[in-house]
Amino acid sequence: MSMEKTAPLDIDFDEYVPPDPIPQSRKRLGLLILAFGSLVLAAAFLVQALYRAGTIDFGFANWRPVVYAYLFWGITLGTAQVLRRGEAGVRALFVLPAVLFVVAMVVFPLLFGLYISFTDWNLSSLQGRRFNGLDNFRQMLGDAFYWNALKNMVWYTLAVLVEYAIAFGMALLLHSQIRARKFFRVVFLLPLMLSPVAVSWMVGKSMMEIRFGPIANFARWLGWENPAFFTDPWLARFSIMAMDAWTFIPLMMIMLLAGLQALPKEVMEAARVDGANPWQTFWKVIFPLTLPVSITAVLIRIIFKLKLADVIINVTAGGPGGATDSVTSFIFRVYRDRSNVGYGTLLAMVYLVLIVVSLTIMLNVLGRWMRGYGQEES
Amino acid sequence: MKVHIYKRLMAMQASRRGILKGAAGAGALALGATSGLGALARRASAQGNLRAEILKIPGVGMGSPTDADWQRVGELCLDGTRATVEEGEFEGVQLTFMGLNNQNLHNFLFRGFLKPWEAYTGARIEWIDLAQADYNARLQQSIATETVDFDIIEMGAPFEGDVCGKGLASEMPDWVRDLIEMDDYVDYLKAPVGTWDGKTYRISVDGDCHNFNFRTDYFENEELAQAWRDEGHEGEWAVPTTWQKVQEVTKFLKGKNDPFGGPAYGYLDAPKSWGGFGFYFLASRASAYAKHPDDPAWLFDPDTMKPRVNNEAWVRAIQDVLDVLDAQPPDQINADPNTTAFQQFLAGTGSMVSWWGDVGSNARTSDSSIVGDVIGFSVLPGSDDVWNHASGEWETLPDGPNVAPNMAYIGWGVYVMARVDSDEKKKKAAWSAAAHLGGKDLSLWCAAYPSGFQPYRKSHFNIPEWVEAGYEEAFIENYLASEADSYNHPNAAIEPRIPGIFQYYSVAEDELAKIFAGQYASAQEGADKIAEAWERITDQIGRESQIELYKASLGV
Repeated sequence: MSMEKTAPLDIDFDEYVPPDPIPQSRKRLGLLILAFGSLVLAAAFLVQALYRAGTIDFGFANWRPVVYAYLFWGITLGTAQVLRRGEAGVRALFVLPAVLFVVAMVVFPLLFGLYISFTDWNLSSLQGRRFNGLDNFRQMLGDAFYWNALKNMVWYTLAVLVEYAIAFGMALLLHSQIRARKFFRVVFLLPLMLSPVAVSWMVGKSMMEIRFGPIANFARWLGWENPAFFTDPWLARFSIMAMDAWTFIPLMMIMLLAGLQALPKEVMEAARVDGANPWQTFWKVIFPLTLPVSITAVLIRIIFKLKLADVIINVTAGGPGGATDSVTSFIFRVYRDRSNVGYGTLLAMVYLVLIVVSLTIMLNVLGRWMRGYGQEES
Repeated sequence: MKVHIYKRLMAMQASRRGILKGAAGAGALALGATSGLGALARRASAQGNLRAEILKIPGVGMGSPTDADWQRVGELCLDGTRATVEEGEFEGVQLTFMGLNNQNLHNFLFRGFLKPWEAYTGARIEWIDLAQADYNARLQQSIATETVDFDIIEMGAPFEGDVCGKGLASEMPDWVRDLIEMDDYVDYLKAPVGTWDGKTYRISVDGDCHNFNFRTDYFENEELAQAWRDEGHEGEWAVPTTWQKVQEVTKFLKGKNDPFGGPAYGYLDAPKSWGGFGFYFLASRASAYAKHPDDPAWLFDPDTMKPRVNNEAWVRAIQDVLDVLDAQPPDQINADPNTTAFQQFLAGTGSMVSWWGDVGSNARTSDSSIVGDVIGFSVLPGSDDVWNHASGEWETLPDGPNVAPNMAYIGWGVYVMARVDSDEKKKKAAWSAAAHLGGKDLSLWCAAYPSGFQPYRKSHFNIPEWVEAGYEEAFIENYLASEADSYNHPNAAIEPRIPGIFQYYSVAEDELAKIFAGQYASAQEGADKIAEAWERITDQIGRESQIELYKASLGV
């Protein structure tokens, strides 16, 4: 094919512009409507902000009209989409309400929370909320209770590894051909169905109670004179870990069990045919194949663990001397008992950043390790 | 009346006939006397009949009162309303009432009491029911976000700083003051409690204080008495009346045997945090050391808001706890006040505990209590010497040990919000409803039946009325005397009613937990940390306003 023949055709095709089915006037109308909606929203926000700041002496009694303005803006945005983009705009309408909802319910509160964390806002203060820059952050740096709680969280989080090992063991047990397997699956899952508050009272404050608790009595029978589970700092921490583990190991177990059941039978059979013993089968076949599930289970468990508060609040209130305090239970006290909204929010924000950063690093490291593991295997 | 007191009555199974015997004739008369206007004028003659009549509703041994009973009581106690409000005068008025729903009491009773009031006056009430745990946050948020959406509130006196101090409450009109007979209040509930800057805001519906509960069998035990003498202790083996003796007895009892069997223990401390409320228990130990009769303040300096929690008096109280912690039951560091009262003292562990009136009233009704027949009550112990903050020295008073009962939490009251002030009709309606709930006769019924409220008027301590209602005279006399003597004590330690008072208590609990766990070198070092944290809270809330409000709350 010669260039002379094909070139004109290519040029024609590239330069062909199909006629726009949406007239310019309709586009302008859409833009106008959106501009009007934006103006209303900006004006409502500005008026209310200035009124609340005391700059102007007129405004709304509360922020509700600004929410209505946001809804109105959402409607104008949707209308503009349809008017300006036609069919594509209609398609956008399917997503837009969800996006606006997420912005209103997630993005805005997060940004507002970020702002609050840089304010001095004690609900009992006559002055109300005041911007105080990095003061809250500085206070946090010197707050022995917060650092103590963070240190405790490291221990609590490390306990997940032990929980994982136990959960894996139980999952393997329930995966094997044992008697009454279905019965045990249900029984092992029961603790997960209990509210941590119920566990706190039933186990922590009743069964482990030093005078009449059956676990304490059993410990006494074994020869422990004063079975005080929450007096020594390390023992108290361990007791909290044990209660929390008892509740949540079934969660990891059920995820790992699902992973085990999804393993391809052919691979297992091939391993058997190749003469692998159970130990080799586990480390060379089962464990690598269930690694993605394991990582998911451990991650979810860590996220649950980082929120640990209810058992601590109910059983030890963070004691003895802060030995069992978690970040969440400390923030709970700062908020509920001390109405210190600004500082409490900063603590929560810093905790969020720490969690996001550490989980990202962990995922990265795990990803590399898994790739390494895969290469080693291959 | 608290539920447990009522349950005790139930447990005693006093017969309806026995109760009615003395009251029936008078009650019949009262029925006829409660209708019509002019009730205030003939109150003196009719009141006794009315009081006897309402005590019959529903009658001891007739099961828990129902909504119909509350309405009936409300109807019978409507004289004050009839005397001050025309029938249908509040037609079209809508009021909102925010209160608690603890144990299905509080607001539930108020609804019943106010139904006849609504029918008579024509006003309508909407209700906001809150659980105790949600109450503080809801109130603080309403205040902070300027969304006070209620006209009447049931509130504890410690929150007066947050509400009255911010001008959110309506001042009590004189006609209400006359109607509810405020002179009948026990002394500590009179001004300055319920007042700010000389203005009265509160209608009391409850009273609170810590009293001292002890095991009589310990102090009547001959073996222990002999051991006490043998060890060369000063004075006879008897119930301690000072904290110095409490310490001595607690140390002495270590290693001895409880009359019920098992190891004996003395005083029971509650070192574990309890949502801020645990601080009251250290305060009960400290009040006799720190509250000087010549000084109304004992927690802060009124002129500077400088905390006194690290002065020698408070440090001595903290040190007292540290000194006897190892003489208390194992795991005591993990005991909160709920543990000391209900799992230990009432269950037969330990011989002395400070608490609200609940310990006494549960002693013979709770299934887990085994001390019902061996329990005695008194005001909190005193101290041989008291810290004079002005001179900075310990002082021995000429008239003996210093006693300063701790009026912990002060009790519930009903307040009208300032938002009704702009509408005279609505304001009168709100105050009329509040006055109805705080009426003298209606309060007697609340003291005698489950209501969530303790006695708080002098007239509630009329022993024959309680005996007639079915209580054993010696028991109730001893129990009520410990409360009445605390309430009316001239050196009663009243907590500061300033904004954020529970914030101070909460941070103190955190530091105390560390002190009791031995994480500070000394009690003084730990107390200094509490003082530092308190200074930060004061600065954050606003020192000048706190000073002003603290002074107002002290009436100085």
